Amino acid sequence: MTGGKFEAAHEDLSERRVRLGRWLFRLATLLLIAVVALQTLDAAGVLTIGFANWRPVLYTYIFWGVALGSSQILTRGEAGQQAAFVLPALLFTAAMVIFPTIFGLYIAFTDWNLNAQSGHHFNGFDNLRTLWGDSYFWNALSNMAIYALTVLVQYAIAFGLALLLNADIRARKFFRVAFLLPFMLSPVAVSWMIGKSIMENRFGPAATFARAIGWENPAFFTSPWIARTSIVIMDSWVWIPFIVIMLLAGLQALPVDVKEAAKVDGANRWQSFWEITFPLMLPVSVTAIVLRVIFELKLADIVINVTAGGPGGATDTISSFIYREYRDRSNVGYATMIAEVYLIIIIIFVTLLLKALGRFMQKMT
Amino acid sequence: MRLQVYEQLMAMQASRRQLMKGAAGAAAAIAANGSLALSATPAYAADSIVAQIMKIPGAGNGSPTDADWQKVGELCLEPTKATVQPGEFKGIEFSFMGLNNQNLHNFLFRGFLTPWEAYTGAKIKWIDLAQADYNARLQQSIATGTVDFDIIEMGAPFEGDMGVKDLLSEMPDWVMKQIEFDDIVNYLKPPVGAWNGKIHRVTIDSDCHTMNIRTDVFSDPDLAKAWKDGGGKGDWGPPKTWQQVLPINKFLKGKKVKGKDVYGFLDQPKPWGGFCFYFLCSRATAYAKYPGEKNWLFDENMKPQVNNPAFVRAIQDVIDCLPYEPADQINADPGTTAFQQFLTGTGSLLEWWGDIGTVAKTSDTATIGDALSFDILPGSDDVYNFRKGAWEKLASGPNIAPNMAYLGWGIYVMKTVDADSKRHKAAWSAAAHLGGKDLSMWTSAYPSGFQPYRKSHTNLDLWALAGYDKKYIGSYMDSQSTSYNHPNSAIEPRIPGIFQYYSIAEDELQKTFAGKETAQQGADNIAAAWEKLTDKLGRENQVKYYRIAMGL
Amino acid sequence: MSAEVANGVAPRNAPISSRAAATGAHIIERVLIYAALALWTFIALFPLYWTLSTSFKLGRDVTQGHLIPWLDFQPSWKGFQSLGLSPDTIFAHSNVRDEFLNKFFNSVICSLGASALAVVIGSLAAYGLSRFDYKFGVWRNKDISFFFLSQLILPPVVLAMPFLILYKELALLDTRIGLILVYTLMVLPIVIWVMRDQFDTIPNEIEQAALVDGCSIWGAFFRIVLPIAMPGMVAAFILSIVLCWNEYFFASLLTGFDAQTLPVMVASQTGSQGINWWTMAALSTAAIAPLVLIGIFLERYIVMGLTAGSGK
Repeated sequence: MTGGKFEAAHEDLSERRVRLGRWLFRLATLLLIAVVALQTLDAAGVLTIGFANWRPVLYTYIFWGVALGSSQILTRGEAGQQAAFVLPALLFTAAMVIFPTIFGLYIAFTDWNLNAQSGHHFNGFDNLRTLWGDSYFWNALSNMAIYALTVLVQYAIAFGLALLLNADIRARKFFRVAFLLPFMLSPVAVSWMIGKSIMENRFGPAATFARAIGWENPAFFTSPWIARTSIVIMDSWVWIPFIVIMLLAGLQALPVDVKEAAKVDGANRWQSFWEITFPLMLPVSVTAIVLRVIFELKLADIVINVTAGGPGGATDTISSFIYREYRDRSNVGYATMIAEVYLIIIIIFVTLLLKALGRFMQKMT
Repeated sequence: MRLQVYEQLMAMQASRRQLMKGAAGAAAAIAANGSLALSATPAYAADSIVAQIMKIPGAGNGSPTDADWQKVGELCLEPTKATVQPGEFKGIEFSFMGLNNQNLHNFLFRGFLTPWEAYTGAKIKWIDLAQADYNARLQQSIATGTVDFDIIEMGAPFEGDMGVKDLLSEMPDWVMKQIEFDDIVNYLKPPVGAWNGKIHRVTIDSDCHTMNIRTDVFSDPDLAKAWKDGGGKGDWGPPKTWQQVLPINKFLKGKKVKGKDVYGFLDQPKPWGGFCFYFLCSRATAYAKYPGEKNWLFDENMKPQVNNPAFVRAIQDVIDCLPYEPADQINADPGTTAFQQFLTGTGSLLEWWGDIGTVAKTSDTATIGDALSFDILPGSDDVYNFRKGAWEKLASGPNIAPNMAYLGWGIYVMKTVDADSKRHKAAWSAAAHLGGKDLSMWTSAYPSGFQPYRKSHTNLDLWALAGYDKKYIGSYMDSQSTSYNHPNSAIEPRIPGIFQYYSIAEDELQKTFAGKETAQQGADNIAAAWEKLTDKLGRENQVKYYRIAMGL
Repeated sequence: MSAEVANGVAPRNAPISSRAAATGAHIIERVLIYAALALWTFIALFPLYWTLSTSFKLGRDVTQGHLIPWLDFQPSWKGFQSLGLSPDTIFAHSNVRDEFLNKFFNSVICSLGASALAVVIGSLAAYGLSRFDYKFGVWRNKDISFFFLSQLILPPVVLAMPFLILYKELALLDTRIGLILVYTLMVLPIVIWVMRDQFDTIPNEIEQAALVDGCSIWGAFFRIVLPIAMPGMVAAFILSIVLCWNEYFFASLLTGFDAQTLPVMVASQTGSQGINWWTMAALSTAAIAPLVLIGIFLERYIVMGLTAGSGK
């Protein structure tokens, strides 16, 4: 299902045009370097030009980006035009993350605590060593593994719902909108309206319901496994619609003849699902699962608001732990190191996941 | 609906004199037969400003609105008019950072300051923060130099953070006079509100934990009988010492009053951005705060005392009590216990700040109504003397040590205004307006997030004007002022980063309460983490600041 | 849409008894399908109903778990009153309403701005990645894609302090444009992901024909490809709006007053004086309302768009 790639046509460009392009780029680069240098010197107090802020660098960067794009087109013709498609996004992303990434990495290797009167100092691998012995981190990481695994359950439910929506039903539009709506409630509202109100153990409708079906003293956040389950339920409630719409889109994109083939009666429907629909849906499924896992691994708001990681750390997530270190304890250096390590863990995990799923998919099809 | 009430009041303005006469008569009648009155004679004239504002909008008329706040602000402008010419601050603009909890705090200030702006000509830009973001935002602003406010609403525990960076403007004498500084309760005077001898804070609030008691539970004859029959010690009644709390909880578990489950004391085991730790401290101060000794959380060299036998006992108390509290109590933070449980009839004993008393009367959340009385925090039969490392029984009876948790909100002016004398005067004038004596009486009585903090607030006649029953409010003010003026009250150290210490403690306590560690292990972990933190923040400095903060 | 195919219709020439059995099974199946649909609709909508009804409750109605208006509790305007949005306060001056409207418009501008920017540059990049082979030094298409994706993985808290300092230096703190830039960064990976799938499924013969006719690649993109990919762009746009609309972390970090958005106001309904259920519910209701409208009117684009171009 992929569109083929285009090769850039070879064309002869006039020498003047190429030269113009090169000079444009060189000039813009020089200008950028000059402005950065001037601002740096000004900030360092060597020169006194009196810049109010670093906006000039920002404007020069935008100009430089435009010049880069133009010079690509001028010097490389169609290949340059092709590059111009991806350049805006690349330059934008680079501009937004280049400083934060470098600065973040630097912070991660310092002992920066906002309340320390002596400021921050490079402290080598101290933060990593602390991390290695930090039981909160390992506890949260093992919770993350559990949370990530629940994505499979969410996926199964979502697949079922997508099949339902794809079946021949009346009022399809109503059901589709209804199924989509939970995705739109903000996590803060979810925490309070569901976690602290519907699941309140005295007056919450969920507790009333639980009592009605025989759970004598319902408590949704006291025993570790029930607490975890409750968090997952709230989180799934928000995110299942996201998986559903992706899968539904996939189902509707299935070729018509496949649908005809799948339209056999009763006993064989199950078989045809496993043998035809499910394998064909694998690419969409993988996208949905990977995206969902990534979002799941960032789970924080609901946990922070509803349980604060409790009872005894049973629902703690890495992100909520980072928030506590970072915000409640102003422990900027250490918290940034946790985040960087976590980032690396996720990247490795996602890469492996994509690889494993890729191989699995090839075997299936 | 409330607007109508307000308009009604406006209409009454014409015949205000008449109205006041009637009210004063009623107040006098109540004062005559009310023996609880803390001050016998009304210290105000019937048509004084304070008497007028106390009736806006009046108890039973729901929560006050923006229009009410503006009206109160307008009426309280007199002290400002005495020091500032009309339009004197024209062209001056400054920014004000504060909370926007429940659309109070900053919203309240906006209302109060709207007439002030109209009179003086100054303009204020507002920066609103959610409470959960407050600490983080403040620390980040200080550390990254993004302090973009001229006035800040801030709790006393942050004075250390600001003080050591020398960011605060010193209070001028005329402000001190305008806000009648002497009227403020003593514990909120220096060292609190000041740093290294300089006074910075316009107090608008006071904080201490008191015991809130459900009177219907503790005067229930059936329960009293059952208590006696069950071999309970002494008469059935609210606890006077912490040692009495656990038996009460055990007794009340499974009991019903008026058909509803009733529980005893409510604990707050779930972290709450550092604030939860105050509640453990309130359980611990009677054990840990030795009379005549200022230090209790640390010693004077910042050696943590949190793992001494007194605190361990308090932690163990919570662990022992939790099975006799409502289901899911382990996931209850202070907000849950106060507003979702206690005020709606679950639990009969609660340690909390002063709001409970006023909220129960004026807010729409509460359902327990008048069945409420107040007391200072329970004492303890014995107290731990950490200098001697031994428990002692005092000759004077149980040791009582109210915990002045958080020390209240204040208005602080930043040093950035000092350079320009007009800005300086404008900013301080705004702060003084919010800390005015009359205004404070109003914020104490109505939902505002602020509690009584002046000696003059004990005047029950003024409360009666707002529709409070004198017996009820007498019990309330009694618990408050006894705590404020208690010689053995526990004052927290306002050192830089104090909330980091609390936050770590909360995390460890959560594990302890969930049964993952023993009380002693948990306490030892907190102490170890605190030592590490002190080292990280610079031990020498922290010790120095600790001594400044505690006034040693 | 091609999904309207009849399910499980028994063949006509089957014996009558087996046809009856099939019809019986068919009916049971329909019942089960609708039962499942109804159950999930209930699960999906109940919390929303709870939120909506709570905005008309007093505190005691919340804490007593009352469910049905007029039967269980008397609806009150309290929640909307406290925002200055109830019938009796709507024409009076209200600071809170001014705040609310200010934040509401900030939310609208930031969400729309960021989503539009992300869809524009994201679609371009996605098209490039789908159609051309890039070589930027050692970077190939796969590396560029992963570079974008990695921005999605990053826990936002890592960026907090750096962004605070960066924005301070660029004078972007408490500005809408600052928030728009961060949100664009946040949703760009998703836009690129969705749009790349989209372009991948559009056969390139279409553009080829245009190119032969003398169109430039940009011309072909704008005139031929873009109209086909429109549903996908709408879908990406809507997903972006939802994610931006509910973003809290950066909103609370990078704004003070001028650019503050709704989620910050929702969060500030809690604090040491408990929680104003009615106000929070009313705010949540007001905050979700525009999204619900989007859901109702544009829902088909979401699925159609994600159907990766071949849904028609």
